[in-house]
Amino acid sequence: MTTIVKAKVVGNQAVRPEVFLLTLETPEIAAAARPGQFVMLKVAPGPDPLLARPFSVHGTDGGKLLILYQVRGKGTRLLAEAEPGLELTLWGPQGRGFDLGGAKRPILVAGGMGMAPLAFAAKVLEERAIPSLFLNGGANQESIRGLEDRLEAMLVAGIERGSVERLRSFFAAKTKAAETSFSGAPRIILGTSTEDGSFGHKGLVTDLLEESLSASQDLQPDLVLSCGPLPMLKAVARICAKQKVASQVSLEAPMACGVGACQGCVQPAAGGGYLRVCQEGPVLDAAQVDWERV
Amino acid sequence: MSGKPDMRVSLGGLELKNPVIAASGTFGYGREYSPFFDPARLGGLVVKGISLKPREGNPPPRIAETAGGMLNAIGLANLGVEAFIAEKLPWLARQDTAVVVNLYAESVDEFGELAGRLAGLDGVAALELNVSCPNVKAGGMAFGCDPGPVGQVTQAAVEAAGDTPVWVKLTPNVADPVPVALAAAQAGARAVCLINTLLGMAIDARTRKPVLANVFGGLSGPAIKPVGLRMVWQVRGTLAAQHPGVDLVGMGGIASGVDAAEYMLAGATAVQVGTASFSRPDACLMIAQELGQFCAEESVARVSDLTGGLNT
Ligand SMILES: Cc1cc2nc3c(=O)[nH]c(=O)nc-3n(C[C@H](O)[C@H](O)[C@H](O)COP(=O)(O)OP(=O)(O)OC[C@H]3O[C@@H](n4cnc5c(N)ncnc54)[C@H](O)[C@@H]3O)c2cc1C
Ligand SMILES: Cc1cc2nc3c(=O)[nH]c(=O)nc-3n(C[C@H](O)[C@H](O)[C@H](O)COP(=O)(O)O)c2cc1C
Repeated sequence: MTTIVKAKVVGNQAVRPEVFLLTLETPEIAAAARPGQFVMLKVAPGPDPLLARPFSVHGTDGGKLLILYQVRGKGTRLLAEAEPGLELTLWGPQGRGFDLGGAKRPILVAGGMGMAPLAFAAKVLEERAIPSLFLNGGANQESIRGLEDRLEAMLVAGIERGSVERLRSFFAAKTKAAETSFSGAPRIILGTSTEDGSFGHKGLVTDLLEESLSASQDLQPDLVLSCGPLPMLKAVARICAKQKVASQVSLEAPMACGVGACQGCVQPAAGGGYLRVCQEGPVLDAAQVDWERV
Repeated sequence: MSGKPDMRVSLGGLELKNPVIAASGTFGYGREYSPFFDPARLGGLVVKGISLKPREGNPPPRIAETAGGMLNAIGLANLGVEAFIAEKLPWLARQDTAVVVNLYAESVDEFGELAGRLAGLDGVAALELNVSCPNVKAGGMAFGCDPGPVGQVTQAAVEAAGDTPVWVKLTPNVADPVPVALAAAQAGARAVCLINTLLGMAIDARTRKPVLANVFGGLSGPAIKPVGLRMVWQVRGTLAAQHPGVDLVGMGGIASGVDAAEYMLAGATAVQVGTASFSRPDACLMIAQELGQFCAEESVARVSDLTGGLNT
């Protein structure tokens, strides 16, 4: 049985302008949640707003569930006003998350709020002692700062910032290091891009992905996980297909039921028809999606 | 009042445990909601509209929230009647609730063929005809706008369905629902259900684009309740006078037990709950419980006593 819970807000702070970290006391959902899954959250009782809103699980902390959200419209604006002690109705975890199973050399690619689920994936990879490359893109330094602080906060050993050259050689270096032992040192290296060049590489996060994939042939990254705006995901899918690297994307669509019933939240499927983001997704193998029709 | 109210109702040829039924298109094929509660606790459930051939549906975006409601343009996406029978019906047949199959077709013959294919199968308690579909042979105009085609469609389904009761679900997008309801009753419908969604549209002023890829969509949710109540009330008098054996099923914006009671007072024997399931997956169950509480508070011994009890 999936229960519909009433969870107490224990925290709701801004991590940067218009982005908040919501902490909810909900042991059932926190225990079940996996990276890439989402919850359906009713931001206020009654008909306004009417529908629950989908949010990725950003992490768990004991019996607490973390949600990292950006103010977009009416519902999220209302949510930003939620005070500790308030009870909110939600259900989940829903949907198919990231399949981290066989990955040995994963790259995580986040654009904007894509940080929300990918920081959780990074945490699980760290727990499994799998070194990974995290590429994060945003408009400018101000917009990425608070989000990268969240990533750092989630990880035990923290992050190491890397230049483009470092990104290229990362897996080779890490594998050698792992053979010796690097306990305590960060297992996650972070490459950042900003569109205005105010921090990190000037350009798009997909430039960093192309650089990272052009590295040594024998230690190619074996999986790319991504979440972010559609144009970014499209580019990631194209780059990974060209380099023949497996790639999983977390998709969004306006959603109503969140349980697979209404067929509202679909995206085009490769080979025709549609996939339900809430059921077959939100994480899909990039090859399942018809990117031409997205 | 002593004891619990009797929640059973007789509806269009079926005996239901309570008058709350999950509405078509908002409850999937039933199983999607089974993680949240046992469907045996509902009076019944109506599955997503089924067509002869599988349908992909419309391109996205398919939904948009509006003030107190939502628009949908799913485009009747469904797996088709053969796959429904093979993959979905066996599970449904094991549930201890009335399973109603909603039918979508684009011609009179197709309605008859679908009804014949499904009637009498284990697990199919009744058929509900969605006459809001475009009548392809008549230039795409919805069947449900005219008494003539509604009568033909109903007759074709009733003839093919044998003992399986046929319900007809009317569209609110008409000037007067009474002649259409009468046509359905005349042709053998055991129940008339109303309302389906109201045709609407949403615009994003910043992008200057329609929000839905299909431009138009069907409006549902609390915003449409006054329209639903009006139409049930409007149809009830004539139907009761001319076809006393034909029941009404009310829907549109029901979100609480009191909303359900309002529809019953207006003349409905039972109600369907649609969009409310999106605000809370167990909404149907809560509404059934609240309706029981309402009866207890109002000293109503049998929920069926509410039907048509409006004081005017
Ligand atoms: C599986 C999934 C996981 C998500 N995870 C997160 C997350 O971790 N953090 C986060 O900040 N946001 C996340 N979102 C997006 C979030 O659900 C929307 O931003 C939110 O529903 C907007 O609600 P609102 O009432 O504030 O805005 P509305 O007033 O409903 O809409 C404001 C704008 O956002 C658009 N929008 C509405 N809903 C969605 C949606 N579901 N997807 C894309 N655009 C939408 C509308 O078209 C409109 O332009 C996720 C979406 C999905 C489908
Ligand atoms: C997403 C969605 C899909 C629907 N699909 C169907 C359908 O396939 N067949 C049908 O007869 N009605 C369909 N409906 C209409 C509902 O069954 C119901 O008549 C309408 O939504 C009004 O009730 P409500 O306000 O409680 O939702 C659909 C409604 C929604 C919101």
